[in-house]
Amino acid sequence: MIPNIYKGNYKLLAIAPLLILAISLYFIPSIKMGVDFQGGTLITLSLKDNVDAQQLQTQLQAEGIDAAVQVFPTTMGYHAEIEVPQSKDLVKTEDLKAKFNALLPKVSQLEVASYQSSNYSQEYKAKKAELDAIADEMFALAGKNRATLNISGTNDLQKRFTESYSDIYLNYQNSVTGPLQRLVKFDSISVQIVSPALSASFINSVITISFWAAAFSAIFVFLFFRTVVPSIAVLTGALCDVIIAMGAMGLFGIPLTLASFAALLMLVGFSLDTDILLTTRLVKRKGEPHDNAYDAMKTGLTMSVAAVVAFGALFVLSILTHIPTYYEISSVALAGLFGDMFATWGINAVVVLYYVEHRKVGP
Amino acid sequence: MNFYEDRKFQALIMIFIASLAGVAFYKAPLSGAIIMGAVIVFGALSLFWKESHIKITGLVLMVLLSLSCIYLNGLKFGIDFVGGTRIPVMLDQPVDQQTMGEFIQTIKGRVNVLGLSEVKVRAIGDNEIYVEVPSNDEGTISFVEKTLSQQGVYEGIVDGRIAVSGDHIFRTSITAMTQAELVQQGGGRGAIPDWGVGFSVDRAGAEQFALVAKGKQDYPVYMYLDRPKDAAIFFQRSELKKALPADSNEKEGMRALKNALKLEGDDIQSYILEDVQNDTNITAQTNRTKALVSENASSQMKDLLRQRGFIVVEESADKMVPEFQRTASQVLVLSKLEAVGLLTAPILSAGVTSGVPNYRYLITGGVHTGITDPVLKAQQVDKEVKGIESILKGGALPVQISLGSRTSIPASLGSEFLKLSLITIASSLVIIAIIIGIRYRNIKATMPIVLISLAEFTILISILGSFTIDLAAMAGILAAIGVGVDAQIVITDELLKKDDQHHTPHEKVELAFSIIKTNIVVAIFTMVPLLFSKLLSGLLLVEIINFAESTILGAILGYLLTRPAYATIVEELLSREHKP
Repeated sequence: MIPNIYKGNYKLLAIAPLLILAISLYFIPSIKMGVDFQGGTLITLSLKDNVDAQQLQTQLQAEGIDAAVQVFPTTMGYHAEIEVPQSKDLVKTEDLKAKFNALLPKVSQLEVASYQSSNYSQEYKAKKAELDAIADEMFALAGKNRATLNISGTNDLQKRFTESYSDIYLNYQNSVTGPLQRLVKFDSISVQIVSPALSASFINSVITISFWAAAFSAIFVFLFFRTVVPSIAVLTGALCDVIIAMGAMGLFGIPLTLASFAALLMLVGFSLDTDILLTTRLVKRKGEPHDNAYDAMKTGLTMSVAAVVAFGALFVLSILTHIPTYYEISSVALAGLFGDMFATWGINAVVVLYYVEHRKVGP
Repeated sequence: MNFYEDRKFQALIMIFIASLAGVAFYKAPLSGAIIMGAVIVFGALSLFWKESHIKITGLVLMVLLSLSCIYLNGLKFGIDFVGGTRIPVMLDQPVDQQTMGEFIQTIKGRVNVLGLSEVKVRAIGDNEIYVEVPSNDEGTISFVEKTLSQQGVYEGIVDGRIAVSGDHIFRTSITAMTQAELVQQGGGRGAIPDWGVGFSVDRAGAEQFALVAKGKQDYPVYMYLDRPKDAAIFFQRSELKKALPADSNEKEGMRALKNALKLEGDDIQSYILEDVQNDTNITAQTNRTKALVSENASSQMKDLLRQRGFIVVEESADKMVPEFQRTASQVLVLSKLEAVGLLTAPILSAGVTSGVPNYRYLITGGVHTGITDPVLKAQQVDKEVKGIESILKGGALPVQISLGSRTSIPASLGSEFLKLSLITIASSLVIIAIIIGIRYRNIKATMPIVLISLAEFTILISILGSFTIDLAAMAGILAAIGVGVDAQIVITDELLKKDDQHHTPHEKVELAFSIIKTNIVVAIFTMVPLLFSKLLSGLLLVEIINFAESTILGAILGYLLTRPAYATIVEELLSREHKP
C-alpha cells in the first residue's frame, strides 16, 4: 500500500503538480483547433487497402489541394482523414451572400417605387447596379456570367444568386472529392464542411457555455462549503485539472472540437468529485487531518482508477475503430484524470491541509 | 413483511403499472419521457420513504419498466450505429430559433410524406440542418434530396386564371402591416381589419394581376401552395355534408368546389366518392391522374378508383375537410381545402379590380368575433399573419436552401461500431469490478456494484434509446457508469471503515451521501449549460448534446435511485456479516 504521504513536510508534494501545470501552460497555445472551430473541410474515408498518407498528400497538392492527410489502421480496414483548410473562395462567398441579403430589400423597395414615380429611378438604378455587382462576383465564383443567365428581374436574380451560392459549395466539394475518387479506392466518404459563419457561432456558443459552467460550479461549491479557502481550493483543483488536460491536448495533438470540449466540461465535474471528497473529509470531519487526507486519497485514487478504466476502454475502442468522437472524449478524459490525481492530491490537499492545521492553531 | 398491507409497496406497484401502461400506449419518444418521469417519482419516493425494501423495489421496478419499454418500443440508434445517410441542408441566411423550429417541422413533413418515418431532422447552428435517413439506397436518398430541394410554388387564382404567382412577388417585400397601416386601411369605410399582410410585385406581376382581376370585385383569390397538377378529388358524401354550412346543400357545395378548383387547362375535378360506382364517366384523364381521397375511405372504393385508371393518393381526413364562406353578395365559396394546397381565399376588394396595374397589395382579415381576450386575439392575429406570409413566400421555408454533400455509413460498419461499443462498456464494467474486488477484498461489496451499474445502463439506454443513441450518447453512457461507480466507491469506503466504531452503518451511509450529493449537484450544473446551449447562446450543439444528456441523466438517476439502493443492499449485507 502507499505510505501516508501527508506526514512530514507535505508542502513539497506540490512541486510535481506545479511543474506539470507549468509544462501544461506551455503546451496550451499549441492546441490544434478541430474543424468545428477552425472551419474548413474534413473528409473521412473508409479504405479497403492501406494508402501511403505522405504520397496521397503530395498527389493532392499536385492537384492544388492543400490538404493534410492521415491514415489509421482500424479493426474494419483503414481509415483516412483529410483536412482541407478553409477555402478563401468560400469565405468570400459567405461575405457576398451577407452583402447581397442586406441590400436586397432596399432594391426591391426602390424597384416598386420607381414604377410609380420617376423620382426614384435614379436611386433605384444606382442600388440595382450595386446589387448586380455583388451578384456578378458570386456568378464569377460559380463560373457563370450574368449576361448568359438571362435574368428577368430582381426575384430571378435572387434565385440565380442562391443557386450560384450552392453551386460554389458543390463545385468546391467536387474539386476536393473528385481527385480523391481518382487517387484512392474507398468504401465510404464523409465530407464535413464547416463554413466560416458556423465555426464562428460554434466558438461563440462554447465561450458562453464555459462561462455559465464556471459560474454554476463556483456558486454551488461556495454554497456547499460556505468558507472561502476550501471553496477556492476546490475550484483551483478543477481549474488545474482542465489546464493539465488542455496541456495534454497541445502535447499529443488532440484537436479541440465540440466533443473534446464536452469532455473538458465533464472533467470539471469529475475533478470536483475528488476535490469535494477531500475537502469534506478534511474540513467537516474530526480526527487527525493527515490521516483524513490519506484516507480520502485512498478513496479518491480508487475512484480515479475506476474512471480511468472506463475511459481507457473507450480510448482503446477509439484506437480500434478510429471514431473521432470516442477518441476526443476519451483521450481528454484520461489526460484530465491523470492531471486530477496530481492536482487534487498534490496541490489541493496541501492547501486544505495547511488551512485546517492553521485554523486549529489560531485563536 | 406483509405486502398485502404495505401501502407504500402497493403505491409503487400502482405507479409501475400506470407507467407501464403509458409506455405501452405511447410510442417513442414519449415513452422515454414517461420513464424519465418514473425515475423522478420513484426516486423522490425512495428519498422520502426511508424503508430499505422501498428503495430496492423502486430500482427493480424501474429496471422492469425500462426492459418493457425496450421490448415494446425498441431502441433508436443514430445512423452511426445502424448505417444510413446524412444530408446537410444549408440555409440561405441565418434564421432565429422559432423559424428554425418551423423549418424543421416543414422538412419533416415533406420527408415523412415518403413514409420514411425514421428520418431525423436536426438543426446545426442557425443556418444548417442535418437530415438523416437510415438507408443507403440510392433511389430513396435521391428522392429525399429532390423533395428537400423543392421550394413551394405559390399561385393566386381568380376565376380559373392565375392572377399572381410567387415568381413575381418580391420576397423581401412581404411584411405584416402595422397598426397605423391597418387603421389607414380601415379609412372610415368600414371596420379596421385585425391583421394584414402587404407584398409588392414586379412589373410583369402587376400587369398580369390587373388583367386577370379586372371586373372581378367580390371574387375570391384562391391562394394555393403547391397545387397538384393532373388530379381529381373525391369526397365522401357524409363528410362533405358535415363540412357545408347549415343553410347550404350538396349542389351548392359542389358548385363552390368546382369554381375554386378550376384553372385553365388543369381543372381539379371534384366528385362524390359514392357516385363513382354508378357513373362510368368518372375516369382518369391521363395515365398519371391522381385521385385524392381520404384515408378513411373504404378500400373497395380505392380499388374502384384504381380500376378507373387513377393513381390513388390517400390524404389525412382533416386535410380533406373543405371550409366554406359566403361573400358579401351571399355566394358560397370555398375558402380552404388543404388536400389540394388551397390554404386561404381572401376576397378581392373594389380597389384592385379596375384593370390598372398595382404594385403593392394588401391581404387583410379579421379574427373570429367570438375571441375577445386580447392575448388570444393577438395570438390568432400572429398565426394568420404568419400563415399568409409563408404561403406568399412559397411554403413555410422562409429562406432558400441548398443541399450539401451526403455522408453515408454502411450498415455493416454501423453494427460493428455498435457491437464494439457494447463490448467496451461490458469489459470496462468487468475490469472495474475486478479492481474494486482486489481493493476491498470483499465480494459482498463489489458484486452489487456490477448489478447496480447494469441496472443503471438498462434504464439509461431505455430513455436515450427512445430518442436517439448516437456516438456522443454512447460515450456519455460509459461516462455515467464511470461516475456512478465512483459514488459507489465513496459509499463502500465509508461502510467498510474498520476503525470507525462511533458510527452505525446507517450514519456512515449518510456521511457518504453528503459527499455524493455535493458531487452530483456540481457535476450536473457544470453540464447543464451545454444542455441549454440553445437558450444561452442561441445555438444547439447537437453533436454533443446527447453526451450532456446521458451524463446528466446518469447523475440524476444515480442520486435518486441507484445509489440509495446500492447503499441499502451493501448496508444490509454487511450488517448481516457483522451480526454474531
